[in-house]
Amino acid sequence: MMIVREILALIAFVIGTAFGLVGMVGLFRFKDPYSRLHAGSLCGTTAVFSYLIALLLLSPSVASTLRMIILIVFFLISAPTGSSIVARFIWESEDAERQRSSMNREDKSL
Amino acid sequence: MNSRRTWALIRFGLTTLFLFVVWILFSADAGFFSLLFGFFISLLSASLTYHIFLPEHEANLRFFIPRPFSLIRFFILMVAALYASSFQVVKAVITGNTNPRIVHFRTRLRSDLARTILANAITFTPGTMTLDLNDDHLTVHWLLCSTTHAKAAGEAIKTRLEHALGRTWL
Repeated sequence: MMIVREILALIAFVIGTAFGLVGMVGLFRFKDPYSRLHAGSLCGTTAVFSYLIALLLLSPSVASTLRMIILIVFFLISAPTGSSIVARFIWESEDAERQRSSMNREDKSL
Repeated sequence: MNSRRTWALIRFGLTTLFLFVVWILFSADAGFFSLLFGFFISLLSASLTYHIFLPEHEANLRFFIPRPFSLIRFFILMVAALYASSFQVVKAVITGNTNPRIVHFRTRLRSDLARTILANAITFTPGTMTLDLNDDHLTVHWLLCSTTHAKAAGEAIKTRLEHALGRTWL
């Protein structure tokens, strides 16, 4: 039984590492900030989530399993919040930029 | 006035219960003094924060008490969506073919909690990211955009998650 769990955990670790590597490549390949955030979320959520699943499979006792489940729940709440804050900041600063440039155009037309 | 007080009392009780359960899970200790201490601390924190934790305008218990089986179903659906869209983003990274667009659509979920969780689930899956949530209006950045039509985009991004969420909360 333990060996099956270890093999499944190994598969999850490999998947997580592969996603992390591709996310890192994407971070440098994409040009605009939103696409970079998407590649970053590949690292930040899929890879970490795979690791957490692997750790859940490897956990030795019921108490640590319960704690891993709490960790996963908190990760589900906190991971999107972080990237959402960054995305929202870009969105609002672009908004302000647009408004400023349109105001400049109006100034020139006057 | 009386119904408002009852409602406040219910919200206070639910907050205390939630905090107490979290305390038990985190301390993993069923000793008498640990439980007593946790209970009084939860009472104290709940009395200070229940009006933020469960706002008064959420006028239905189903707005924040989930149905357990639907919650598990939503969780499984979300993990499946996470891996499916991760593979799509991996393909996009390797080939370099992306079509990033900003799309707008509406959600028919009614409670604040369900809407926030929908926005978080959209951000959680790679390839889509919530920029803004105004009442029922979502602004989403979509990496592999196939349509900017509001209904079709909403269909592609959120409909399955929204159905599962609509069964969990109201």
